[in-house]
Amino acid sequence: MTDLEMKLKAEAKRLLDEHLVDVFIGFRKENAPLHPQPAFFTNSDQLDDFVYNNLCQNNLAKFLTRYPHETKIGMIVRGCENRSVNHLIVERQHPRENIIMIGVPCTGIYDWRKITQRCGEEISDVELSPGKITVKTSKNQFEFESKELLHVSCARCSQPNPISADLVIGEPVEPKDPARAKRQVETFGGMTAKARYEWFTHESERCIRCYACREACPMCYCAECFVDHGAPRWTESMVSKAGMQTWHIIRAFHQTGRCVDCGACERACPMDIRMTYITEKLNTDMENEYQFICGMDDKTQPPFAAFTMDDKTRFVA
Amino acid sequence: MSANQPNIVLFQCQWCLYAKTDQDWVENSLPENMHLVKTSCTGRINPLFVLNAIQGGAEGVMISGCKPEICHFKEGNIGARRQLSAFQKLLTHIGFDRSRIRFVWMDLQDTGRIQKELATFEKDLVDLGQSAVLVTRKPGFEGGMHD
Amino acid sequence: MNYILSRNDIPKVLEMWSKTHQVFAPQKYSNFSAFLPYEGKAEQLCLEYPHNTRYPPKALFLPQSEELLSYTKDGQASEPALDAKPKLIFGIHACDTRAMTLLDTVFDAKDYQDPFWKARRESTAIITLGCDEPCSTCFCTTVEGGPFNRQGADIIMTDIGESFHLEALTPKGENLCKDLPYASAAEDRKVSNVQEKATSDMPKAFDTEGLKTALDANFDSSYWEEVQRSCLGCGVCTFLCPTCFCFDIADEAARSKRYRNWDTCMFSVYSREASGHNPRPSRKERTRQRLMHKYSYWVDQIGKIGCTGCGRCVRYCPVGLDIRAMLREAGKLPVEVIHA
Repeated sequence: MTDLEMKLKAEAKRLLDEHLVDVFIGFRKENAPLHPQPAFFTNSDQLDDFVYNNLCQNNLAKFLTRYPHETKIGMIVRGCENRSVNHLIVERQHPRENIIMIGVPCTGIYDWRKITQRCGEEISDVELSPGKITVKTSKNQFEFESKELLHVSCARCSQPNPISADLVIGEPVEPKDPARAKRQVETFGGMTAKARYEWFTHESERCIRCYACREACPMCYCAECFVDHGAPRWTESMVSKAGMQTWHIIRAFHQTGRCVDCGACERACPMDIRMTYITEKLNTDMENEYQFICGMDDKTQPPFAAFTMDDKTRFVA
Repeated sequence: MSANQPNIVLFQCQWCLYAKTDQDWVENSLPENMHLVKTSCTGRINPLFVLNAIQGGAEGVMISGCKPEICHFKEGNIGARRQLSAFQKLLTHIGFDRSRIRFVWMDLQDTGRIQKELATFEKDLVDLGQSAVLVTRKPGFEGGMHD
Repeated sequence: MNYILSRNDIPKVLEMWSKTHQVFAPQKYSNFSAFLPYEGKAEQLCLEYPHNTRYPPKALFLPQSEELLSYTKDGQASEPALDAKPKLIFGIHACDTRAMTLLDTVFDAKDYQDPFWKARRESTAIITLGCDEPCSTCFCTTVEGGPFNRQGADIIMTDIGESFHLEALTPKGENLCKDLPYASAAEDRKVSNVQEKATSDMPKAFDTEGLKTALDANFDSSYWEEVQRSCLGCGVCTFLCPTCFCFDIADEAARSKRYRNWDTCMFSVYSREASGHNPRPSRKERTRQRLMHKYSYWVDQIGKIGCTGCGRCVRYCPVGLDIRAMLREAGKLPVEVIHA
């Protein structure tokens, strides 16, 4: 167990023992390699298999909306999770006073798909050490620099440090390469329209409509999603081009000004579909036009909720 | 639809045409290739409507609403403008031609403008030619590996 | 009879079979693999992977979206033609083949026969590729199967190094092999070594003895509350599952067609009734349903567990939920003895 894990565990234990929180949300040891499991500790006895490492790929803010507002929630937050929580507070999904955020400066999440692409899908064991990762399969052993395996969202992370956590454990880390996000949007935007549409079609047509992207996203907490509507039906029910493209366009659009680019949607997808190339575009648009970056505080309304008469000179017809 | 008569869907805020003659014209005398969807305000236009129109084979979508200060519901159109323009940019990002979505913000003295706007739009769409992007529900069934 | 197919001959033989059959083989699809029509691109084949294709081959018989009928405004309805052209699935793993036989009990049962499923099944020959190196996430031997299970296969194929050993199990299989050389006695011996080793290599993932009793007795247990907490409620486990078959029928008015789409008990809309009432209102009931269906209700209905241990749900769950661990825990739940 690493030093960081030990400290986090001790803090979780303290919060639970002193009854400062009703539940502590963290991770526990995986059953199958690569996927530590989100865990919900209500008692410090349960902390035995507590784990925290770079393979913890889920955005824990997802689970915030599952509890009634009165529940006192303690949770581990990385930079992106902290911003998600902030934005959920803006959207009144949980009161700030009932959340205790234990911040962890994040060195980035390893993308399990990058690992399986390099080592095959049959992975028997993974060992993590600072900056290095060793992956074992039944026949081989692979070593990687942690940089190679970072998820794209983490490789371009602008905010790896928690910004409004109640307590931060660990030394702050340098932002990764935020310019990369803009470069990516520019590079994609620089392609011809035909190429961009081909790319989008290629990505969206693999969709099996399992909605793992939706369920992994902390911002997707609607009681009923637009695709689940029976009457009126907003989109085709089949895995047809029309149905899948609508899903990918509208899912992304519903995140406008609400996405923190944590990449949880991509990491949840079983079909390796890339999605953040769309949401990053929306994020850059919101930043350029409205100087809005989601989740930097827990007060500012997102652009679609904060329109004013000042807009009248915008969008001159 | 012939190449000279592209399908156009007009989303119209029911308050934006101040002259009765204009409103009568869009309701009764639109050419066959143009389809009217009358809404209570541009704020009612869900971007899904626009996408649905395009997927169903519209070559162009025109959104006609009131100028900012004169919204019947005070600020419905202000919210709509933020949303719809962001949606237009998103579609452009994935390869759609942004000029196929056109906004017209009407003022009180704009009698007769809607006819002109639609005529220009139609002409521009003819110049652009048929769209191959996002037209995915028409004709028939096409799709990915699952079909 | 037993035959030999040398590795180098595979493209040639697949080419030969393509003349009479539409051949499906595991091929690269994006970053992973799926059963796709073989189009002469041998470099795309993925026969060496120890794991299954990510996208389940059940889709070849039960497509994710399938047209059931089309209709016109004046009340005419017509059904699409049944797919009866000869097909061949090459290199499917034993767990997935066995899944087809389980699904036969649903779509080709005494009281209901699905014409679309039946037509595809009858016109398809299956060449199973046994797993000589089962994955750590696989558990076929635990659930009545095995890496070389023969159920549903026309030919069973074993990797013996330089070549594959083919054992034809049905007349369909014999017919396919008629141009291949016979296997020697030495090669036959190699096969039994490989098969026995692979089977004995697999540990038992959980105890199935008494599992159904424990599940049935604990329908109302708080255990389900615990196990659902990290579940996201997405459809990965069920859509990738080779034995999940639930579907939804939808009329697509814009196309004037009726479709059958995969559906999953993990979605809340799956069980929601027209009145708005939902008998499985939360993830607790839905998670329970998935396990109970496979490990209790199937047993009630056909006397077999409805899981073939392919391990897809374990490998691809976005939150690392492991059905084996869930069942291990469930098996330990107390079974109350009710005295008469």
